[in-house]
Amino acid sequence: MVESAEDASLVGAACDGDRAAFGQLYERYARVVHGILLSRVPSEDVDDLVQDVFLNAWRRLRTLRDHKAFGAWLAAIARNRAADHHHRSAVREELPEELPAEDREQSEALAVLTAVKSLPEAYRETLILRLVEGLSGAEIAARTGLTHGSVRVNLHRGMQQLREKLGKGNNP
Amino acid sequence: MKDDYLWDGSGEPDSEIQRLESVLARYRHSRPAPQFPERLTAWARWRTRLFRVSLAAATAALVIVVVRFARRPIPPSGQTGWQVRRLAGAPKIGDAPVGETAQLAVGQWLETDDASRANVFVGTSGKVEIDSDTRIRLVETRPSHHRLALAQGTIHAMIWAPPGQFVVDIPSAMAVDLGCAYTLHVDDKGAGLLRVTFGWVGFEFKGRESFIPAGAVCATQPGVGPGTPYFADASAGLRDALAKLDFEQSSASERVASLKVILAESRKRDAFTLWHLLSRVGPAEREPVYRRLAALVFPPHGVTREGALQGDRRMLNLWWDELGLGDINWWREWERAWPQQSP
Repeated sequence: MVESAEDASLVGAACDGDRAAFGQLYERYARVVHGILLSRVPSEDVDDLVQDVFLNAWRRLRTLRDHKAFGAWLAAIARNRAADHHHRSAVREELPEELPAEDREQSEALAVLTAVKSLPEAYRETLILRLVEGLSGAEIAARTGLTHGSVRVNLHRGMQQLREKLGKGNNP
Repeated sequence: MKDDYLWDGSGEPDSEIQRLESVLARYRHSRPAPQFPERLTAWARWRTRLFRVSLAAATAALVIVVVRFARRPIPPSGQTGWQVRRLAGAPKIGDAPVGETAQLAVGQWLETDDASRANVFVGTSGKVEIDSDTRIRLVETRPSHHRLALAQGTIHAMIWAPPGQFVVDIPSAMAVDLGCAYTLHVDDKGAGLLRVTFGWVGFEFKGRESFIPAGAVCATQPGVGPGTPYFADASAGLRDALAKLDFEQSSASERVASLKVILAESRKRDAFTLWHLLSRVGPAEREPVYRRLAALVFPPHGVTREGALQGDRRMLNLWWDELGLGDINWWREWERAWPQQSP
């Protein structure tokens, strides 16, 4: 509640042209937008799309009626941007067919990310926000508009499915 | 409870989750905020509206002046030529000196030396002042279509005909008037320089287009065509770098250096220069141009990064319309009416 009241205040200032206020909203929400995008598009495209989403939000900010709903509104823009990107991009594999032997850490990270991204949408988005972006369940709920219960279920079931996938991968 | 660790990192640590967090940390967001474009305040928006109303009033006043001018008694003029009026010295049509007035027929050359100047009346469509040391040829004149070739020198055109009815061919481009006033200079090597003072001019050469609004300048070079247009008040660094990028044979590192100057010195007003540049630079150079243009004028709905980088014409047109310089399709309608022609 405190966070959404602060958001409303920052959104109000940003609507009046305060770029520093919008910069604070960026600091608060960049990881959420990044996580939402990372769960849907190739990792190398995510940074550019994060900027696209925030520039788009900055431009359309005055159309947001309920300033307290900034987080959910921004998350919707990010999901739409990811869908748009997905439709327009050629299908690309996240995991290259061959990786240099010395880059085993990257290989492992890609394998885990690929496993997370193979989960159902609700699970993979919540898990990425938690495991990659380092947000707590409460922060995920506050910044995406989901309830605590939904986030908890998504984390629990998503983690369960991820363990199964990684377990199968390790023991074929 | 291990679920507590999954929820917020508290409670008994789960070693597998800790390992996943560590492995995936490389994907965590770390990029700083972009530069958000300035947003107009309520007072600034009000000022913008006031400016637009003033501009509309000024345009209406100009239209009244032009209409009254166009309805003035027309000097006698044949269907196949334009009337020429001597302003100074002894201009020539072919080898014959022009008296106070003369007729310039289709195919004839009008030439001024360093001491002479003349006015040419383009039917009822406008007036072209022929500066000293200039050669022009009347290529075509018929109702609603007038065309001259400027081989060398300087002309000052004031056209009040509807857009697209007056065209000037120069060795390195075709200039289509869109209802405007402009100065066009061609040097002895065939290179051109266009300065628009009112309205619009479109430059075209073998599919390479430049759209030049009032206050802007565009150079052309034989064999290359129109360069990237820019506002006359752009920084000297930006103008120099554009000239290098457009017309000089540069190494890859020199091109990168020029591009950096252009992007760094571009103001919001220079977005129209970046818009032209986006489809002219090589594929590897487009990304930074795209980013800077997007920071100055956010791409509208329907324009994607991928499409813009691939030169998608529809998307670039949509983006142009966000620049506040009018509808680009309007220009292209007029351009199509004129085939390319060598003077």
